[in-house]
Amino acid sequence: MLDLFASFQNLLNGFGIAFTLTNLTFALIGALLGTVVGILPGLGPAATIALLLPISFQIGSPVTSIIMMAGIFYGAMYGGSTTSILVNIPGEAASVVTCIDGYQMALKGRAGPALAICAIGSFIAGTIGVIGLTFVAPPLAEFAIRFGPPEYFALTLLGLMMATLLSGSSILKGLIMVTMGLLLGAVGLDPISGEVRFTWGLLMLQEGIDFVTLAMGLFGIGEILYNLEKELTAELVTRKISHLWPTIKDWAESKWAVVRGSLIGFFIGILPGGGALISSLVSYGVEKKISNHPEEFGKGAIQGVAGPESANNSAASASFIPLLTLGIPGNPAIAMIFAALLIQGVQPGPFLISERPDIFWGVVASMYIGNAMLLILNLPLVGIWVQLLRVPYAILAPIIVLFCCIGVYSIRNTVFDIWVMGVFGVIGYLFRKVDLEPGPLILAFVMGPILERALRQSLLISAGSPLIFLKRPIAGSLIGFLLIFILFQIIMTLRKKWKQGN
Amino acid sequence: MGSFRHPGVGFLPFGLSIILIILSLALIISRWKKETSTKPFWTHRSWVRPLLGVVILGLYALVIDTLGFPLTTLIFLLIWLGIIERTYWLKMVTVSIGVTLALYLIFGYFLEVPVPMGFFK
Repeated sequence: MLDLFASFQNLLNGFGIAFTLTNLTFALIGALLGTVVGILPGLGPAATIALLLPISFQIGSPVTSIIMMAGIFYGAMYGGSTTSILVNIPGEAASVVTCIDGYQMALKGRAGPALAICAIGSFIAGTIGVIGLTFVAPPLAEFAIRFGPPEYFALTLLGLMMATLLSGSSILKGLIMVTMGLLLGAVGLDPISGEVRFTWGLLMLQEGIDFVTLAMGLFGIGEILYNLEKELTAELVTRKISHLWPTIKDWAESKWAVVRGSLIGFFIGILPGGGALISSLVSYGVEKKISNHPEEFGKGAIQGVAGPESANNSAASASFIPLLTLGIPGNPAIAMIFAALLIQGVQPGPFLISERPDIFWGVVASMYIGNAMLLILNLPLVGIWVQLLRVPYAILAPIIVLFCCIGVYSIRNTVFDIWVMGVFGVIGYLFRKVDLEPGPLILAFVMGPILERALRQSLLISAGSPLIFLKRPIAGSLIGFLLIFILFQIIMTLRKKWKQGN
Repeated sequence: MGSFRHPGVGFLPFGLSIILIILSLALIISRWKKETSTKPFWTHRSWVRPLLGVVILGLYALVIDTLGFPLTTLIFLLIWLGIIERTYWLKMVTVSIGVTLALYLIFGYFLEVPVPMGFFK
């Protein structure tokens, strides 16, 4: 009870920080930018935050820059649905399933209610997610203070494996991406002994591959090159968006979908490796399964829009929990915010809340405000954003490439990094060609140093016995959970194969 | 590399490399049997535009230190819009100049990113 009261008190202080003019302005800028990149296909929140990393010092204090970056992340969840509904292209990865029923609704002249239910559902779910973040994060952080190297090793391993297994595509390919990410993370100075590895004698590689350079190459340039293959001509459903408000019947049909989506999103978002995309897929599946009219799904069922759009928003809020309490990023966009904290000299982890309460509570409070801002931006003003879809991709693509070049150049003021980015751009393009998902690679790259340090320190503590990961209760349970999860996945795959065989 | 008792610099990379080799072999073997993928890697010269993109990016990195940010960016946009997208020339020129000015104002002026100026200094 006392803890709950303390959380309220801290949250009030957080609102004090979030309500300063600077922070309000940057929350708004973040929400606006997020909506824009959410709407524009081919530019996601992860790449956008990566672009802003080099200038996060110019933006201001750690609180201010994280407030803005968080705004970009959850703002993109609002914007992504608009493109899905009107153009049938996901504006952002987590809105893939919204295309199915959202576009059908738009074809039937019900784009207005679809957009409105997305905005309202996102607002409700986003707020539920932040409430969860407010009350779950502090006790979790207190618990995590007791974690030593073996626990961290188990936790990062769990996160990486979950990210692979939940990423949707082939498990084998996911594992390959994770391993490559870990290897790329090993380039440069060894964190323990200070020796150099994998630099091929290049001085510029001694500091390791920069995170921003890698992310911009794989996500930014790779995506652009891939899109260059096909000449994108988006077909926009632009009969005037009339009847924005959903009918009473729409409401009745979608209100429980919103609640269910919020809860699904929250619990999946909190898992290391879980995220907005997977939670929206799960929500769609659940809605279809429990619906009385499953045959309407795929033909414009409003629940198929309300559920997943709510789920991805509450997942976005919830995925801040593992970052801010354990220091473990669960998805690429959160990994960028992780990097932003490090750049600002703040170590994300269990001590963040107690040592830098201004950052934690300021950012959390700003998320309540940001969600309210986004509701206003996306409901009455949705017509303005739709105009963005008229900017042809042909012009957007070279501008994004230039943004990436400047961003990468500005980190160390060297052209060398543009070359490195170009190389990873080509690799990212080829990855997409062969269906390799770059997400797990980025996560592994960020977690690599944490994982390696934890592994080597643990082995030093235990004098070489790997049993240390099983003997300690928390580490042991985490590993146990991981094994059960893997076993479950294997059984599910086998069952599917067996059914197909019959 | 070290041992389990004293894991050294190469400990993790070595282990990872072995895992990667095993995983790659597993992937090759799992594909071997199927032979389902009959569609070509690139259809109808679809590799041309990505390749052009990479080449232009490479040229950009090659000359930016000597020609400076504004001029290189302008040329980059002209070439990209002209060759890859084959935009109408008036649109190509106006967009290129507009974007170059905007980028220079945002990064060079407002955000004070030290962009290379080449011989404009």
